[in-house]
Amino acid sequence: MSNSAVETLVSACIRFLQAYPPFDQMEAAALRFLAERVRLLHYPKGARILSTEMGVAPALYIVHRGRVRAKSTVGLGSGEPTSATLGPGQAFAIGALMAQRPTFGAYLAQDDVFCYELSADDFFALTQKSAAFNLFCTQHIAGLLKQSQQQLQLQFAQRAAEQKTMNSPLAAVVKRDAVAVAATASIRQAVELMAERHLGSMVVVDDQEVPVGIFTLSDVLKRIVLPGTSLEQPISNVMSSTPATLPLAANAHDAALLMAMRGIRHVLAVDEGGRLRGVVSERDLFKLQGAGLRQIRHAIDAASSIEVLQHARGDVRQLSLTMLAEGVGAAEITQFISTLNDTVTRRVLELNLERHDLYGIDWAWLSFGSEGRDEQTFTTDQDNGIVFICTDIMDRELTQLRFLEFARDVNADLDRCGFPLCKGNIMAGNPELCLTLEEWEEKFAQWVRTPEPQALLNATIFFDFRPLFGRFNLAHRLRLSLFRQTRGNPLFLRMLAENALSVSPPLGRIRDFVTGADPEHPGTIDLKKFGVRLFTDAARVFALANSVEATNTVQRLRRAGAVMNISGDDLAASIEGFNFIQLLRLRHQHFEQEHGRPGDNLIRPDDLNEIERRVLKEAFRQARKLQARLKLDYQL
Amino acid sequence: MSWISRFLGTQRIPGEALTARQEQLVAGWRQLPDVDLRRSHYRCRYVVIDVEATGGDPDSAQPRAIAALALVDGQIAFRDAWQLVLEEPVAGAHAVPSSMAAAAEPLAASSMVEGLIAFLAFLGKAPLVAYNANYVRRVIRRVLAEYLGVRLQQPWLDLAWILPDLFREVDAGPERLDAWLEHFGIDSIKRHDALSDAFATAQLLQIAMAHAASRGFDTPASLRELEKARRHMRQSA
Repeated sequence: MSNSAVETLVSACIRFLQAYPPFDQMEAAALRFLAERVRLLHYPKGARILSTEMGVAPALYIVHRGRVRAKSTVGLGSGEPTSATLGPGQAFAIGALMAQRPTFGAYLAQDDVFCYELSADDFFALTQKSAAFNLFCTQHIAGLLKQSQQQLQLQFAQRAAEQKTMNSPLAAVVKRDAVAVAATASIRQAVELMAERHLGSMVVVDDQEVPVGIFTLSDVLKRIVLPGTSLEQPISNVMSSTPATLPLAANAHDAALLMAMRGIRHVLAVDEGGRLRGVVSERDLFKLQGAGLRQIRHAIDAASSIEVLQHARGDVRQLSLTMLAEGVGAAEITQFISTLNDTVTRRVLELNLERHDLYGIDWAWLSFGSEGRDEQTFTTDQDNGIVFICTDIMDRELTQLRFLEFARDVNADLDRCGFPLCKGNIMAGNPELCLTLEEWEEKFAQWVRTPEPQALLNATIFFDFRPLFGRFNLAHRLRLSLFRQTRGNPLFLRMLAENALSVSPPLGRIRDFVTGADPEHPGTIDLKKFGVRLFTDAARVFALANSVEATNTVQRLRRAGAVMNISGDDLAASIEGFNFIQLLRLRHQHFEQEHGRPGDNLIRPDDLNEIERRVLKEAFRQARKLQARLKLDYQL
Repeated sequence: MSWISRFLGTQRIPGEALTARQEQLVAGWRQLPDVDLRRSHYRCRYVVIDVEATGGDPDSAQPRAIAALALVDGQIAFRDAWQLVLEEPVAGAHAVPSSMAAAAEPLAASSMVEGLIAFLAFLGKAPLVAYNANYVRRVIRRVLAEYLGVRLQQPWLDLAWILPDLFREVDAGPERLDAWLEHFGIDSIKRHDALSDAFATAQLLQIAMAHAASRGFDTPASLRELEKARRHMRQSA
């Protein structure tokens, strides 16, 4: 009786859901759980199904019939809202649900809409019950992150296009109307206004609008909270008087200079009458410098001395930090750092060639390791070598000596330009790494023939070589000979695969992450050793096994993946996982360096927010999938 | 059985005395308080009913299946549904699985009584909704009177009257449930199955509630007024 009615309705609901992803992939029991718990609601045309004002998203919505218009302001304000239309079978508010926050934007019924709704509690129960659904949700969130990154990149590009420079007058730099309070205002009024408008500082003006003081967020602690000052006192009692001002016509350089001289973070722009017209913060100026990509590039190319290059290298660093702050994606930033580092390195080489005569010899400068893979982060040391052609064996020693002299000068100059000397002496100035083509070939062949532990370790560094300067075809010849070796030696690839599998993704059975790997840093995960390396090691085996010339991990995965019949979706998911880990590393290094510490790769999962933790978990799962493929291919 | 006794609803099939427990359950239902019909659609419980019966005359038709679905606070939850299949449907491939329908013979009177008591419990005193409510109501009232000696007092709403008033531009005859379903793109699980039609009708009710509310008819009581007015106009026209 009543059971049969429920059964009929639930079965019909299951049949509907099964026609759409991700429900078509879902386990039968989980799908039944979902169908038994959803409620069917109707929304007339124009109704607001869910929007920011409604607070924390209460349910998962699955469109049953009709169309829903999703207006989204993906995350961070200022961008143009994007909109999309959702039809039957499509689900929404996953991101908001998982983060237990209100949705960004709004979902409107475009016509009569019927939605299945699953309460938040049941939603979380479902993510526990169904691996397929959980995967879908995390991938959905990864997609959201990507979207927001793309949007931020777009904003960054627009800002760069505006070409504001440090020569801009302050009139062009101040972004918003100045907010100020009268000197008679109470502290409470001033602080409330700051909170409401999200301001870091508040200018205090007299009745002529002339600034008489400034009050900043950091003053709240020192001058109000700690001394226990009453909020009813006038703001003039706690403000810093005689604030630094500049005329609107002064430029950003002047403002930076004034800040540096007086050790302050804000400069007030005033008109001819001395009246407040705007506030320029240190951060505004910092952002301005980010626009000068082309200038930096020009400066490097035109640099006539190492001293000039030293500055350029600093600019590269600052620009990449700015890009990170602007939310640009990891792949773009690492590529960008590599490209500009290459430019600096080339210029260093050119400058040194003026003093070293290598005329008439074919040679190339090689990069290894992360530089070879185009995946440099903020902390990177030198990994380089030289390959040259020696036509007469009798000249070999002498030629090598000339190259070593040259290489040592280059290594020293690179060090001065911010690429620290390699502690492992993986540098062109090392006679072991300044070799003829034949010697390199023999070296590689030796490692492939006898894959002992040290040889495998070398393979992970040197097989990722990339020519940076000189005769690129030498590197190409070296690569072809390497492929000849590896193709004829399945044992080596198997050993390399085994080596890649020696580290597992730090996913726990009970807790989300395994953080105990390093006893000196409990609660942390080394994102280099237990993160990017999982991807780069697998990608290297794929590339060598399939004669893919690329050294970049993303390109290796793409090209080898196509040959290995890995589906496009799976590839994209792996690449996103890899990029996300890189982004976390970059952000972490940035943070460490801003606090005056050398950037390491140790992150604390507990410091991440819920979405990041979930995406990180998903990224590790992607690494596990790559490892599973290795196990399968090499029967490990 | 005369029409008067049926009208009074006190006549029962002889020999079908209720057990003490059944009497108690029915008495419990009788004592349920009446529902306030002036609460919002979205704060009350409607029960949508459909019957499948042999024959077009409600006074003699034998029900083959009764299905009911609750619409609580505007929401349909699949776990809040009920049906009684009284007779094995004609050897269909998708016969509704039912413990009670498993018996090939028509339901014994005693289990019919049990089924109807469960039905009463499911209805409570909620306002009842059907498409073509007159027919459904008369079949249901007759069956309840015969087996339980119960007379349903709660109001009935008829979407066959309400929908044409809310959607005057739609040209669907008063008997045409199919036309409405087609107009709103509502799929049937299995057409002319009591449960499937009750489910489809419940979705029509959701649409009707939203549109009625936007015109100020936002309670069961006001929907009833709307229906009355339309009947009155039609009958006097």
